[in-house]
Amino acid sequence: MNPIESLRLSWRSIRGHKLRSSLTTLGVVIGIAAVIAFVTLGASLQAGVVGDISPDDQRNVYGWAAEPDTDGGPLAGAQPVFSQDDLDAVEESDDVEAAYGYMPLSTQALFYQGELSPQSDALVAAGPPYIRADSLDEGRQFEMGEREAVINPAVANQFEENISVGDELTIVLQGGQRTDVTVVGITDSSEGLSPFEGFQPSPRVYVPTDPYYTEEAGGMLPGPGGEEGPDDGGSGLPGFGDEDGTDDAIDDDTDAIETDNDTGAIETDNDTGAIETDDTDTIDADTNGDAIDADNDTDAIDADDALFLAIVVEAESADDADVDRARESAATYLESEESDAGVLMDDAGLEVTLQTSAELLQQLQDVLDLLQNFIVGIAAISLLVGSIGIANIMLVSVTERTREIGIMKAVGAQNRAVLGLFLAEAVILGVIGAILGTALGLVAGYLGAWYIDLPLVYPYEYVALAIVVGILVGILSGLYPAWRAARTDPIDALRYE
Amino acid sequence: MTSSETAVSLTAVRKTYRVGEPVHALDGVSLDIRRGSYTAIMGPSGSGKSTLMNLVGCLDTPTEGEVVVGGREVGSLDDRERTSLRGTEVGFVFQTFNLMPRLNALENVALPQLFQGVDRETRRDRAGELLERVGLGDRLDHMPNELSGGQRQRVALARALVNDPAIVLADEPSGNLDTDTEADILDLFAEFHDAGTTMVVVTHERHVAERADRIVHLLDGQIERIERLDRSGGSETTAIDRDGATGGSERG
Repeated sequence: MNPIESLRLSWRSIRGHKLRSSLTTLGVVIGIAAVIAFVTLGASLQAGVVGDISPDDQRNVYGWAAEPDTDGGPLAGAQPVFSQDDLDAVEESDDVEAAYGYMPLSTQALFYQGELSPQSDALVAAGPPYIRADSLDEGRQFEMGEREAVINPAVANQFEENISVGDELTIVLQGGQRTDVTVVGITDSSEGLSPFEGFQPSPRVYVPTDPYYTEEAGGMLPGPGGEEGPDDGGSGLPGFGDEDGTDDAIDDDTDAIETDNDTGAIETDNDTGAIETDDTDTIDADTNGDAIDADNDTDAIDADDALFLAIVVEAESADDADVDRARESAATYLESEESDAGVLMDDAGLEVTLQTSAELLQQLQDVLDLLQNFIVGIAAISLLVGSIGIANIMLVSVTERTREIGIMKAVGAQNRAVLGLFLAEAVILGVIGAILGTALGLVAGYLGAWYIDLPLVYPYEYVALAIVVGILVGILSGLYPAWRAARTDPIDALRYE
Repeated sequence: MTSSETAVSLTAVRKTYRVGEPVHALDGVSLDIRRGSYTAIMGPSGSGKSTLMNLVGCLDTPTEGEVVVGGREVGSLDDRERTSLRGTEVGFVFQTFNLMPRLNALENVALPQLFQGVDRETRRDRAGELLERVGLGDRLDHMPNELSGGQRQRVALARALVNDPAIVLADEPSGNLDTDTEADILDLFAEFHDAGTTMVVVTHERHVAERADRIVHLLDGQIERIERLDRSGGSETTAIDRDGATGGSERG
């Protein structure tokens, strides 16, 4: 019998039981929808994240210190331990092109031409190489020691009159202090420049650590980074994991503050606990006297005491071997007793993590994959339940239509034709479930991606896969009932009441 | 199918059911049904009517003996071939009509051709033509539950005829009909018989059987007697037929 005729006839019986058929397909709909929604979200997330690694970024190794086994993304549980001396020492290595501190700073608002725009966490203090040439739309990098800033388009377009290169911008810091910057560059994208910032587009002003962070840490401004830093780290994970990260971050927050006081980033000079820090200073001074002297010259306040939340080490090239050498060199130094970080981490029981953005993304990807596998697992169970539902309804249907089967066989229907009819019915149910599930899943996935502001990615291959799965579910669940229908004895079937 | 004079022939057919004690539902039956004949089969319950019908209708195979339908020996065919033979050479009319509830009249009539792989256009033409002949030309797209009992049986008759079978088997065709409708259906049977269709009607009602050329009386799985009817005169002439042309009963 012609397959199209089978489908036509099967479609009749499905339409004959609209409610029953709809409920039967629901299991498949939910299963497929779950898979498609999460695959869409996952693909969009991946595109949003992977789209952020520029070739230059691949030279960078991102480091921060946290308690061992801290879960979460970049900066999770990070505490400020890296001193300017450490950064200078790391940069001296032949394997390292540049090393600079990274410090997110809390803000209250941005001020431009009399217009105020409330912004928290808008300020990122880093070294000039942090602004990569290929990420600049116009202007240039800021220079260390200058009151200059590079802003991203989200900041530039925030105000009635767009900010352009050369303009003055006033930043209101967490404590209420105001500081002026000259905009020297504008980046081409509002997404984060490194994994530290997270991947969501948000307004950011990039400034040199000196003077902006050193001033703040030097005591002119109230204690900053330690408090806000870990939170920022948490937000580095888009969407999920945020909860985890934040929980950890809150725990670590108190630690961070304590550490701050213990080690004396701010009150070192007056505190008794400062002895340790002073000691390390002295040690450093022995080994690296020049650098410290230079620092002391530029700033009357103890700029050396500014501890950075994170370190960015730029390798000679994006070559894996070069990156590994840079990482090795930085790790060796930072873990040794020679470095301020090494001593501080020893005291607080911290470990330094040095990773490239690809590796950090891989971690994220691993979490993502795990989550996706988990959801797909649940969806698979739902599909299994859906299949059982179809099988069950088909069995009921076969029993119910025993007489019809008898009639068909009496008028010359081969076993194969009867098998085909019932199989077609199950497959139609499976495919309808798959189509509805795919539509529902795509809508849910896109809504989700839109909600967390990710680029929309269309996982076409999964749509095709979903239809195939629908057909398979139909065949698998329809096979036994159809086989039973096919082997029904026409004599018994015709007598069946 | 050969052009022989015999549509169906049974030779020494025995059908034994083994439910504990072996039961001979048919116990050595020989019967020839000529093309174009009209045969009624009568007998009390348990006499083997249904078994005989299942065998002639290629729904079942004999335990012993030979059943030849449309020139082919049913017992030697596999399930697929038997189904195929049934589809082309046998048309069924049931007491309970047995129409497909979700198909309309036209589709019900066309159903046997669907399973023979006839294309849609031809099927619809043929089914429409037959429904016209049974007087339902204006009810082609009515569903079975929108038709009266008599109309349903007309649809069933049209369906039985759609593949131009060697034989039409009717099992108590008027059992669920009132007297007037019954007469209409039986008139229709006579009409198709006159047009050359081979009819076999299984019934336990004398007046239904009397529409036939002859009545085969079954009792305890054997042919008790064969009654020849003078169609113009009525039912008075009876005889136990022993002619070679129609066969007879054997004991054993």
